[in-house]
Amino acid sequence: MKVLVVNSLAPFLHGGAEELANNLVQNLNRYGAEAELLRIPFSWDPAERLLEEMLICRQFQLWNVDRVIALRFPAYLVPFQRKTLWILHQFRQAYDLYDAGQSHLASDARGTVIREAIRTADNNCFAEARHLFTNSPVTAERLKRYNGFDSVVLRPPLNDPELFAGDNPGNYIFAGGRINSGKRQHLLVEAMSRVKSSVNLVIAGPPDQPGDAATLRELVARHNLGDRVTLDLGLLSRHKIAGYVNGALACAYLPFDEDSFGYVTMEACQAGKPMITSSDSGGVLDLILHEDTGMVCEPDAGSLAEAIDRLAHDRNLSRRLGDNARNRWLSLNLTWERTVERLLS
Amino acid sequence: MRVAICSSFVPFIHGGGRFIVEWLATKLRESGHQVEAVYLPFVEINEQILPQFLSYRLMDLSQNVDRLITIRAPAHLIPHPNKKVWFIHHIRLFYDLWESPYRKFPDDERHRGLRRQIMEADQTALREARQVFTNSQVVSRRLQTYNKIESEVLYPPLLEPERFHCREYGDEVVYLSRVEHHKRQHLLIEAFRYVKTPVKLRLCGVSSNSSYVLQLRLQITRHQLLGRVSFENRWVSEEEKSELLAGALCSAYLPQDEDSYGYPSLESSSAEKAVLTTTDSGGVTELVKDRYNGRVVEPEPKALASAIDELYENRELARQMGQAARLRLTELNINWDHVLTRLLS
Repeated sequence: MKVLVVNSLAPFLHGGAEELANNLVQNLNRYGAEAELLRIPFSWDPAERLLEEMLICRQFQLWNVDRVIALRFPAYLVPFQRKTLWILHQFRQAYDLYDAGQSHLASDARGTVIREAIRTADNNCFAEARHLFTNSPVTAERLKRYNGFDSVVLRPPLNDPELFAGDNPGNYIFAGGRINSGKRQHLLVEAMSRVKSSVNLVIAGPPDQPGDAATLRELVARHNLGDRVTLDLGLLSRHKIAGYVNGALACAYLPFDEDSFGYVTMEACQAGKPMITSSDSGGVLDLILHEDTGMVCEPDAGSLAEAIDRLAHDRNLSRRLGDNARNRWLSLNLTWERTVERLLS
Repeated sequence: MRVAICSSFVPFIHGGGRFIVEWLATKLRESGHQVEAVYLPFVEINEQILPQFLSYRLMDLSQNVDRLITIRAPAHLIPHPNKKVWFIHHIRLFYDLWESPYRKFPDDERHRGLRRQIMEADQTALREARQVFTNSQVVSRRLQTYNKIESEVLYPPLLEPERFHCREYGDEVVYLSRVEHHKRQHLLIEAFRYVKTPVKLRLCGVSSNSSYVLQLRLQITRHQLLGRVSFENRWVSEEEKSELLAGALCSAYLPQDEDSYGYPSLESSSAEKAVLTTTDSGGVTELVKDRYNGRVVEPEPKALASAIDELYENRELARQMGQAARLRLTELNINWDHVLTRLLS
């Protein structure tokens, strides 16, 4: 069976969704299908472009393909009979981020027309799908709330669990993943200026924009934290990332209202590390419970500093939370073999 | 530099247009550039050509991408302020194959209109490019004739020419290529009815045409050539290809009016083996000069047979032409340093 995985592409932005698409293709090939990836470039600024972007996807023709598994807007609009959708997220600026006042779509008539067009295209696409999967309860809930569609939650597995075996806890907090203002690594740097224990912070990952890197560097300099905060910015190898996770005292991940667990969270749990996160981090909170599998703080520097200090001082607590995190994650039993089976059903 | 390489594809079909993209991406990364290789779908169905053109034309890659390099049509329609086109062929039915039996649709007002629109779209997009390159003089001439566009020939190199080497000048002519009617393996088998020396022939390659494969087998049996001609309809690994060429007397590559010289002739030249080809092979004759780095003979069995006998009887000649074949690659500047310099300047 020839399976085309379809995803949207923002050139040179590489995060969890891109990793997932690559791994999906690899695992489809491993478990008996013939799979290939189609990435359709997507540009959403200015807002008027969104209409053209949908048109671009609707004019493409797919030949020599038996099945389509589509992941993101607007690429999932590409015409094909009975697509399988595995929705990682909708175009959130037209939905929940708009409601939260974090959208670049204006509230005037033009903005409304664009949002309506997106919703109509989405609804038509969802209605004709073979299967409608979502990657998390958060995504499923939004799909229900905004579009009225029921979906089946199919959480993505970890791609290389063997790398995250865990190791003795060192004296640093590790914050991995893409770097941008929405992931709020800057809050961790600010927290470090208030931390009383001698623990350090390592931030590692690819900045979305050069400005995101500059902001962090400037913040580290302003608080004079050069000897306590390491910035390892760029696209790192999986081994390097696993090394940071395995040797950490705890991991930290503070996205604003993340849709799913996030790979960063799954990796920390696999390695048996407690996770420091924030009460508004969305899907992360399905795995991380306060003082059970990690520390759930308020999204401010003071609250984070307190949590870091507690984990640094109370090594028994951090060990217990880390063990719980691993057990809770493993009990979900998420594997690629089973995921592929469900996607091709 | 952040470079996007865009090309078109039909999912799950692996033609030569993919090698040029993959190899260019590899070489750009090796020299420290960031690369996105993007394949977009395109099918040549008359009613769908212009709608698909629209998708390419509307695409916005201006953000995040410093340089756009386009390969297979209609990727050159994508706008970018810093675009270089490496043009490998037109949508030929509407260009040079219009007056050929390959065109199955009528020469009526509707199709002439479509032809005009395709040509205008191509012309407009090609004029916007900072520079237009082609893979052969044949394609450059067509751009000049049909689109009035000046272009520079930029010959595509092999990814790793150093894999090929010469061990000896043995007793075997090798034809390592896809087995298709227009590659004319049948012509070479026919020639072996007329060779007078004990020279052998080895044909190896995959095919999309099982009846042609059967036809070749029957031809070999019918003319009692089983002891002389071996034919294996299968994939040949890079290692095996290199081994077969290392021991060969010379290679053969006789496509009918090919656009470019074809990777088999480059592989043979890298292994210091003369290339046997025919006067009507198109782009191959840009690389092969008669009696310098190979033989260019009439597409007649007897002419081919006598060229083969001559090389078998005069190994010194086979060696001289083989060494010239390697030298010819340098003379034509067929190397990645040159390609990168031209595409990035």
